[in-house]
Order: sequence, then C-alpha cells, then structure tokens
Amino acid sequence: MAELKISPFRRTRILASQIDEMLDVVSQAALAYKHAIGHYIRSGWDETAEVKYRQLDEFESRGDKLRGTIGQTLYSEMLLPDTSGDVLGLLSSLDRLLDDMEHSLEVVRIERPEIPTEFHDGWLECATMAAEAVEQVVVAARSYFRDPRAARDHIHKIHYYEKETQRTALQIIEQLFQSDMGLDRKLQLRGHVWLIDRLADKADDAGDALAIYAVKRSV
Amino acid sequence: MDLTFVIFLSSGLLLGWSLGANDAANVFGTAVGSRMLRFYVAALVCAVFVVVGAVVSGAGASHGLGQLGAINALGGSFTVALAAAITVYGMTKLGLPVSTTQAVVGGIVGWNLFSNTATDPAVLTKIMGTWVAAPILGGLFAVALYRLTEYCIRAIKPHALWLDQWTRIGFLVAGALGAYSLGANNIANVVGVFVPASNLEDISVGALTLTGQQRLFMLGGLAVAAGVFFSRRVMMTVGRNIVTVGPVGGWVVVLAHSLVLFVFSSELLRASLTRLGLPPIPLIPVSSSQAVVGAVCGLALAHGLKGARQIRWSMLRNIALGWLATPAIAALIGYVALYFVQNVFEQPVYQPVMSAAGM
Repeated sequence: MAELKISPFRRTRILASQIDEMLDVVSQAALAYKHAIGHYIRSGWDETAEVKYRQLDEFESRGDKLRGTIGQTLYSEMLLPDTSGDVLGLLSSLDRLLDDMEHSLEVVRIERPEIPTEFHDGWLECATMAAEAVEQVVVAARSYFRDPRAARDHIHKIHYYEKETQRTALQIIEQLFQSDMGLDRKLQLRGHVWLIDRLADKADDAGDALAIYAVKRSV
Repeated sequence: MDLTFVIFLSSGLLLGWSLGANDAANVFGTAVGSRMLRFYVAALVCAVFVVVGAVVSGAGASHGLGQLGAINALGGSFTVALAAAITVYGMTKLGLPVSTTQAVVGGIVGWNLFSNTATDPAVLTKIMGTWVAAPILGGLFAVALYRLTEYCIRAIKPHALWLDQWTRIGFLVAGALGAYSLGANNIANVVGVFVPASNLEDISVGALTLTGQQRLFMLGGLAVAAGVFFSRRVMMTVGRNIVTVGPVGGWVVVLAHSLVLFVFSSELLRASLTRLGLPPIPLIPVSSSQAVVGAVCGLALAHGLKGARQIRWSMLRNIALGWLATPAIAALIGYVALYFVQNVFEQPVYQPVMSAAGM
C-alpha cells in the first residue's frame, strides 16, 4: 500500500473508480427496481420484494455518499476545472434517479396497491421502459467520460424509452378511468403510474443535460 | 565585476524583469488561468528553466542579434536597453501592442544611426522575416499538434480524469520547454546588447565552468526569473482570455509557442538542418506574445469556419502594426537618449571602429 500512497496518480485512480462505482450503483438500482416491480405485480409484497427494496435503499444511500465525496474531491483538488460543474450536475441527476426509484418502490411498499390482472402486462412494460431509460442514462454517462462524441448514440435511446414509458403510462391511466373500479382506487393506481412516468421524465432530463455536457467536452 | 558595469547593466536587468513579468504568461498563463497548475508551481518551474535556457542556449539568438549591431561601449548598451524598456513601458501604458524583441532591435538600429555604423539590410530583413514567420509557424504548429492530439484522444479514449491528469503533466513539460526556450531566445533582448562591451571573465565552480557571456546571461536570466514571480495577474488575464479553447487546446497553444521559440534559438537544431543540407533557421529573438497569438489563431482555424469566425482579426492587424511601429519608436527614443547620455552625462556610447578601407 505504501507504493500506492506515493503514486501521483492515486487520487485520479480513486476518483475514477468512485465515478465508475456511482454509475454501477445507478445501473444496479435500475435492475433492482425493474425486478422488484415485476415481482410485486406477480406475487405481491413478500420477502423478495422487501429484499429488493432494502437493496434499493442501500443503493440510494451509497449514491448520496459517493456524490458528496466525488464533488468534494473535484473541488478541493481542483480536478477537471473546466467541467467539474457539469460532472457534478450529472452526478446530481443520477442521484435524483436513485431517489425516485427508491421513492416509487417505497410508496408501493407502504400502500401495497392491488393491481388488476388486466393491467399487469402494461404495468410491467411501463416500469421496464422507465428502468431502461435509466440504464441508457448510465451508458451515456460512461460514454461522456471516455468518448463524449459517442454519448449522443445513447442519448436518443433515453428519449425513446421516455416516450414509450409515457405512452404506456397514459394507456394504463385511460384504461383505469374507463374501468368500473372505485374512484379512490383509480386515483391511487394513477399515482403509482405517475411515479413510474416521473422516473422516465427525470432520466430524459438527465439525457438532455448530458447532450450539452458532451458537446462542451467535445469542443 | 565592477560597480560601473552593474549600474550600466541595470537597464538590461529592468528589461529582463519586465520580460519575465509579461512573457511568463505566454508560457504558463493558460495553465494557471484554467486552474490546471498552481501559480507558485508554474512560477518556480518557469524561473528555473528560464535561467537554464539563458545560460545553456542563450548564445545563438544573442549572436544573431549581434549581427545587426555590436554595441561596443557600456554606455551605449545601457542606453539601448533603456530605450527599449521605455518603449515597452510607454506602449503598454497606451494599450498598444508591443514586443520587447522589436523594441530592442529598434534600439540597436537607433545606435547604428547614432554611431554611423552601417545597418546590414540583409540582417535586418532576416530579423523582420522571423517576426512574420514566428506567428505563422506558431499557427502551423498549433494545427499540426491539435490534429495529432485529437487523433490520439479519439484513439485512446482516456477517462476525463486521466485526460485531466495527462494535460496537467503536459502543461508542466510544455511549460518547462517554453521557459527554457524563452530564456534561450529572449535573453538576447535582455543582455544581448551588453555582450560586445562586457568584460566579465570566466569562472569555475567545481566541475562547472561559466564563460563571461554565460555569467551575463545568468544575471539576465535571474532578472527574468524574478519578474516571473510578479506575473500572476497577467497570467490570470491571458489564461482566461485563451481558456475558451479548453485545457487541451491551451496545452496545444503553449507547446506550439514553445516550439517556435525553440526553433529560433536551438543551435543543435540549426546544426542538424545544415548537416542534412537544409537551409539553416536564423537564430533570432522572436516575440513570445506573437507566437502565442499565432498559435491561438491556428487552433481556431483547425476548428474550421466556426473557429475562424471567433478570431479577432483586429489583433492580427495590431501585430502587423507592431512590426513597424515598435522598432521605429524605439530607434527614435534610442537616438535621442544616446545624444543625451553622450553630451549631457558625458559617457561614451560607442567606440569608433576603423573600417577595413581606412586601415
């Protein structure tokens, strides 16, 4: 370890690995979210769903911590002086995605909504598309750090998944209000669908910001 | 070293101090202004390499300048350096573009006129040619370096943090080369006019032997190095003006500028070109600021039409104006000052030289 401590590149190596870890955390959180929603639709809130929720909660805490550490190091060590603001903006966007995924699942955990069988496929598709949008943000963000010109190849996919999520969410909400279930239940289920849709919206916002950051880095 | 010599040398040292305070910004301004390097790290590296460059490689450009006019009396050297310093100070105060190199050349021409020494038009043309060539060469180096760097970055695809780290190291290396070349090339401006009249002897410290000329260059180099530590504000200004090109672009500018100064001061490069049967590069002091402007314009043009639109063409017009105005003003001030020093202070400003025809 003594050799590592005197290395002038140690700080860069650690920071690069922290940024990679942050991206891994968001990607794994998206997978856990998709899995948890799918499992809840099929089996209700059981031990597996609880485990996924706890995982997501840990990812969210880890993301908060990493964002703080990376931001502090960037500024205190004057690293990436021209783009540190963009990097912090990107990390904040990723952290917001973690917050939204955790919040969305937390509401499911508290309210345990009963999703009618005819909505299962659409619901799962909606959550899957939202999680895909988040994963594409991670891929674009990785590209931003290594090959900013290639980031736009992934950013257009984020827009696509956001549109698909929105389309599916609207379809579910329309069907909900055309059904004969009680208004209270309709409103409750609409709230859950909106939470999923909001996640995709946030991913889309992150994609828009990334597109600008990538252009700045390419110049 | 007698006191008279030190007093006479003071104008050269003042010129050196001002050169350090202004031109260090061309070497490290981008790095410090963009916060890639801390000021004191940059200043220390700059100061050390300026002195090394002046002592080790200062002779080439100094000899080139000496061909224009060998000032053979200390009073003359003092006055010419003072005239150059006054020109640089006055034009800077008036906000006009100025180069120490051009001011010194003007001062020497003023001395030639005063002492009835013929100015060799071929040498003058060669010197003025290098002034035009330096910014153009800076631009060409910048385009080539930018293309190469861009290709390497796209091929390697380094993480932004590693690119940041390499750019910092690149700034240090390019800045050290730039400082070395600045010392080697521009020391002629600072103490070059004192070389023919200098009576400094060789000294040996252990295995190291310094010739009288190297001692003179070391003194000049130390004056430049002292000026470097007063360059913080200029560095921040220059750095922020150029920083729109980004750290990697800034590094390209610094390296291109350093290479220009190196080309016009390296005796080794000159000898290598001659050995290869290529035309030798004249070793002449060139303007560091104009090399930087040339490199920035080259970098902008490397970005195509979009970059070309960002160039402030008025800056190039000002450079062209400086090629003529600065030496003319320095020559005039030098001529008047020599008259005063000779006739009012009764100091010899030149030693009459017998021409071959008269012998």
